[in-house]
Amino acid sequence: MHGTRARSVARWAARSALRAAVVLWASATLVFFITRLVPGDPAEAALGGPGSQASEEALAAVRERFGFDQPLIVQYGMAMLALLRLDLGTSYSLRQPVAQILGDTVPGTVILAVLALLLAWVLALALTLAQSRGSRVGAAVGDTVEIVASAVPHFWLGTILIAVFSTGLSWFPPVSTGTPAGLVLPVVTLAIPIAGFLAHVMRGSLDEALRSPFAVSALARGETETGLRSRHALRHAALPALGLSAWAFGYLVGGAVVVETIFARPGLGRSLLQAVTVRDVPVVTGVVLVSALVYVVLTIVTDALTRLVDPRIATEVR
Amino acid sequence: MTLDAATIDPLRPPPRPERRRRRVRVGEVVAVLFTVALVIASVAPGLLAPLDPTAVAPLEAFRPPSPSHPFGTDESGRDVYTRLVHGTGASLLIGLAATAIGLGTALVLALVAVFGGRVADGIVGRTIEVLFAFPALLSALLVILVLGPGPVAATVAVGLSTAPGYARIIRTSLLTVRASGYVESARLLGHSPARVVLRTILPNALAPLLALATLGVGQAVVWASSLSFLGLGAQPPAPEWGAMLASARVYLTTAWWLTVFPGLLIVATTLAATAIGRSLDARSRRSS
Amino acid sequence: MRSRLRRSLAPAAAIAASALLLAACAGEPEPAATGPTEGGTLVYASGDAEPTCLDPHVGGNYPQALLATQFLESLVSRDADGAIVPWLAESWTVSEDALTWEFTLAEGIEFTDGTPFDAEAVKANIEHLQDPATQSSTGYLAVQKVESVEAVDETTARFTLSAPDSALLESLSQPWLAIESPTGIARGMEENCESPVGTGPFVVDSWAKQDRVTLTRNDGYASAPGDAAHDGPAFLDGIEWRFIPDSASRYAALQAGEVDVIDNVQPDVLVQAEQSEDLVELDAPRPGSSNRIELNSGKAPFDDVAVREAFIRSVNVDDAVASLFQGTAERSYSPLASVEPAAYSDDSLFSYDIDEANDLLDEAGWSEKDADGVRMKDGERLTLTFPVSTNQSIPAEVSLFEQLQAGAKEAGFDVQLDLLDLASWYSALGANEYDLVSAPYTKVGPDVLRILYHSDGIVPAPSGYFANHSQIDDPAVDALLDEASATLDEADRAALYEEAQADVLEGYYILPLYDQQNHFLLSTSVHDARALGTVSTPSFAAAWLS
Repeated sequence: MHGTRARSVARWAARSALRAAVVLWASATLVFFITRLVPGDPAEAALGGPGSQASEEALAAVRERFGFDQPLIVQYGMAMLALLRLDLGTSYSLRQPVAQILGDTVPGTVILAVLALLLAWVLALALTLAQSRGSRVGAAVGDTVEIVASAVPHFWLGTILIAVFSTGLSWFPPVSTGTPAGLVLPVVTLAIPIAGFLAHVMRGSLDEALRSPFAVSALARGETETGLRSRHALRHAALPALGLSAWAFGYLVGGAVVVETIFARPGLGRSLLQAVTVRDVPVVTGVVLVSALVYVVLTIVTDALTRLVDPRIATEVR
Repeated sequence: MTLDAATIDPLRPPPRPERRRRRVRVGEVVAVLFTVALVIASVAPGLLAPLDPTAVAPLEAFRPPSPSHPFGTDESGRDVYTRLVHGTGASLLIGLAATAIGLGTALVLALVAVFGGRVADGIVGRTIEVLFAFPALLSALLVILVLGPGPVAATVAVGLSTAPGYARIIRTSLLTVRASGYVESARLLGHSPARVVLRTILPNALAPLLALATLGVGQAVVWASSLSFLGLGAQPPAPEWGAMLASARVYLTTAWWLTVFPGLLIVATTLAATAIGRSLDARSRRSS
Repeated sequence: MRSRLRRSLAPAAAIAASALLLAACAGEPEPAATGPTEGGTLVYASGDAEPTCLDPHVGGNYPQALLATQFLESLVSRDADGAIVPWLAESWTVSEDALTWEFTLAEGIEFTDGTPFDAEAVKANIEHLQDPATQSSTGYLAVQKVESVEAVDETTARFTLSAPDSALLESLSQPWLAIESPTGIARGMEENCESPVGTGPFVVDSWAKQDRVTLTRNDGYASAPGDAAHDGPAFLDGIEWRFIPDSASRYAALQAGEVDVIDNVQPDVLVQAEQSEDLVELDAPRPGSSNRIELNSGKAPFDDVAVREAFIRSVNVDDAVASLFQGTAERSYSPLASVEPAAYSDDSLFSYDIDEANDLLDEAGWSEKDADGVRMKDGERLTLTFPVSTNQSIPAEVSLFEQLQAGAKEAGFDVQLDLLDLASWYSALGANEYDLVSAPYTKVGPDVLRILYHSDGIVPAPSGYFANHSQIDDPAVDALLDEASATLDEADRAALYEEAQADVLEGYYILPLYDQQNHFLLSTSVHDARALGTVSTPSFAAAWLS
C-alpha cells in the first residue's frame, strides 16, 4: 500500500513539473505573439516611442540589434532560445536588463501580496465563522459585508485609509517608508476586497456542504450545527476557496498595480504600468512570465493541499 | 445558467432541514424592485431622469445634495443623479458582458476538462493555467497594449481574466460532485452520462459559482473603474459608474457625494443580484 | 497657507525678484534674522513620471530637467525678468555675421568627479548632444544650427553656426543642454544615465528605481548662476528625491511631514492647502507655449477659418476654468507663456458668443442639423476628434475639455473626446487622426513659436513626430519666424514674434487656455527655495530647513 502511495506521489510530482514547464512555455509564446500585435514600429518603441523623434539611422540600428527585420518565426525562435538561457532581454525604456528590474521589484510585490493573502484568509475565515450561527439576519449582514468589501475599488479604499489613519490619526505613514509601519495600509487595502470575495465563496460552499448527505447524517448522530460547521463542513468549504488562492494571488498582483501607485511602493505592478504606457515590450514580457511562474508554483502547492484535504480527488481523478 | 425546476433531479441530495417556512421576504421584494428600476434605467433612462446627463453648468459645480440635485452636482455642474441613471446601461453592460464572457469561457473549459477525457483535461488544465498567468489587471493591460484603452478592451480583458477563476471552481466542484456517491447511484440507476451531467452534476457544481458570479458583475464594474483610475478606461463624457467613481476620487475629501453615490449603486446592484440569485437557488431546491 | 507667491514676470522687476524668495513674506512671525541653518535633508516628492535616464541629454523631458537642476549647470541662465545672465560662461561675444559666438568660461570650476570644467568639456557636451547614439531630442533640436565647437584655449569656447540663431543663449540656458563631465560621459550611456556628473550644488549618490534618487551636497560648489542670492555650497546635507505618482498620496505625505516639497499640485489640493498654516505655494508656470487647444487646419472641417472661429466662439472657457481651477489658473490669450517677455495677447478674439458661432457655421454651409442636433454639410456630420493624453492632461483639464465639448454641442459640433495613453496619443497625431489637440511645449524663449507654427514643423520626423499640430502652413508666418530667428536685436526680434503671434491668433488656429501649470507646495520649514528663470524648475542651492 505504501509503495503505491509513494509511486503516486512521485508521478504527481513529475506531472506537476511537466505541467509547469508547459504553462511557462505557452505563456511565453502567447505573450510573444500578443506583443507583436502591438500597433506601431517596435524599433520606435525601443527608442522611447513616437515622441522620441528618433532618426532613421537610429531606427535601423535598433532593428538590426533586436532582429526586428527578421521573419516572425525566426524572432520567435530567438526569443525562446534567449528564455532558455534565462535571458529576458533589456528594457527599452530603462536601458537595464529586465532580470535586474524584476529582481529589484519582485520582492516588494511578493511581500505585499503574501501578507495581503494571509490577512484576507484570516478575515475571510473570521467572517465565515462569525456567521456560523446561521441566522437569517446573520446571513444578510454577511452578504452585505462581503459584497461591500469585494466591491470597494482599491484606489478608493486606499485613499480613505490614508485620509483616516494617516492624515487624521497619524498612525501609519501615507506612503511607503521601507518600514513595517509603511506596509500596514497597503496590505490592508489589498486584503479587504479579496477577503470579501473569499468569504463569500467559502460561505456559499459551506452552505452547500451542510446540505450534503454527510452533514445530514452527522446531525442525525447528534452533532450540533455549530460543531458541524466549524469541524467538518468548513473543510469542504475551504476546498473551492483554496482552489481560488492561486487566482487570488493573480488578483492581488493586479491590485498591486493600483496599490503600489497610491502608496508609492516600488514593485512589479508599477513596473508593468509604466512598461505598458511606453510599450516597453521586454518588461511586459518579463512581468507576465514572473506572474506565470508564481502561479505555477502556487498551483502545485494548492494542488498538494487539496490532495491532503480531500484524498478522494487524488485517488480517483488523477 | 438558470436553476429552474426542470433541472432538478430526484436523486439530488436531500435539502437541508428547513428551520423556517419560506415566505416572500422583504429583502427579495426590494431586490426585485431595484432590479426593475435598473432595467428601466438601462432601457429608458429618460423616464427616471429627464435631464441631459452631459449638460454642463460650470457655475453650479460641486453643489452638495439638495432637493433640486438629490445626489449633488459634479465638477462640471452636471447632476449626479441624472448621470447615474443614464450610466446604468453602460455600466451593467460592462458588468454583465464581462461576467458572461468569463462564465461562458469557464463553463466550456471546465466541462471539456472534466468530461472530455484525460487528454482534454490536460489541455484544458494547461489553458486555464496559462489564462491564470495573466491575472485580471495584467491581462487588461495586455489587451490595452494591443487594442488601446477603451471600454471594449476593458470589458473583454476583465471578462477573460475572470474565466480561469470560474473555470477552476467549476472544475473543482464538478470533480467533487462526480466523486460523490449519488452520481454513482445515478449511473447504477441506468441514467445516461449526458443526463447525469446535465441534471445531477451541473446544478450541484454551479451552485457555489452562482454566489461568485453575482459578485462578478459588481467586480467587473469595479475593475473597469480601476482602469479608469489608471487612465485607461471609459471615455468621457458618457456617464459610467466606474469612470464616475474613478474621476471623483480626486474630490474625495471635498465632495464626498461624488464617490459615495456611484459606489453605493455598484454595491446595491451586486446585493440585489446576490439576493435574487440566492432566492432562485432556494426556490429551485424547495420545489425539488 | 500664509501666502501665495507667483513667479511672475510683471514689468516691476523688483516685485518679481522679491517674490522669488519664498521666505520673504511680510508679517511672518518667525525670526527671519537668524539666517540660514546648515544641515538636514530635504525630501522632495515628485508626481512626474520617473525619468528612465538621469542624463537630460538623453531624450530630454521635464522630469529629467527637475532633477538635473539639482546637480547639473548650464553655460547661461535666465533671471526672473527674462534676461540672460552668466552661469558657467562668464561672458560671450557674437560676430558681426552672427555665425560665430565666443564664450568665456568661469575659471577654477571642477566637475564633482575632479575633471576640470573647460572649453574641451563644452565641446564634448555639444558633440554628445549631436551624436545620434545619445538619442537626444530636446537638446539635439536646440543645437541643430551649431556646426562645430572649438576649444580656443582653456576658458574660451567658440561656437560656429550654420545660420544665425537668435535663440542660442536661451537654448543653452535649458537643463537639457547642461554641461556634464566629459569623463562621466565617456563611461557610456548606461552608467551616465544612472549618475550623471556635473558642477551643481548636489551630487547623485544613488538611484533606487521607482523609489528615490539620493542627492548629497557638493562641498566644493562655487558656480551659482548670475541671479543667485547665495554663492557657495548648499546649506542642505542632501536631497531625497522621491517618486510618488498619486496626487492625493503626495499631499497626504506632505501633511504628515514625510516630505517637505511636492510638485504637480492639483487645483483641488491647492484650494485645500490654502487653509493650512504650514504650507506655502510656489507657482512657477513653465516657459514656452501656453496650454492651448490646437485646431488642425490641415484638413476638413478646420481648413475653413470660419469653422475654426465658430468653434472658438462656441466654448465658454472662462466659466470652465473658474469652476475647475478655482482661481489657481489665470486665463491666457496668447500662444506664449506669460513668463515670456515676448508674449502677445489679444483677448478680443476669444470672447464667448454662441450666436456668432451659429451664424458663422450657417454661412460656412453647415446649416442643416441631424436628429442629435449635430450640424451637417453635404451629408457629412460636423464631428471633431479630440485625442487627449491622460499622461499630459491633469483630471481638471480633462473635465475642462468635457465642458468645452458640451458647449460646442450647443453650436452643433460633435466633439469626440478620446482619452488615450501616451503611445496611442502619439500615434493618433502621427496618423493625422485629430481635429483638436492639446500639447503644450516647454522651451526657454519665443523661438518655441518657430517649432510650433513654422510649416517645417508639419513634416514628420522619421518617428512620425511633428510639433506643428495646428498645421499652420502660412508663408507669411514662416517668413516672420525665419527672420526673427536670425535677428539678434531684442526689440526687432520681439516685434517680429509679436506679428507672428498676431497672425496665429487671428487665424483662429489655437484656443489659449492658461499657462502650463507648475505648482509646488512647500512646508514652511523650507526656506529660500526658488524656481529658476529658465524652465521654472525649483532650485534648492540656497535652501535651508528650520
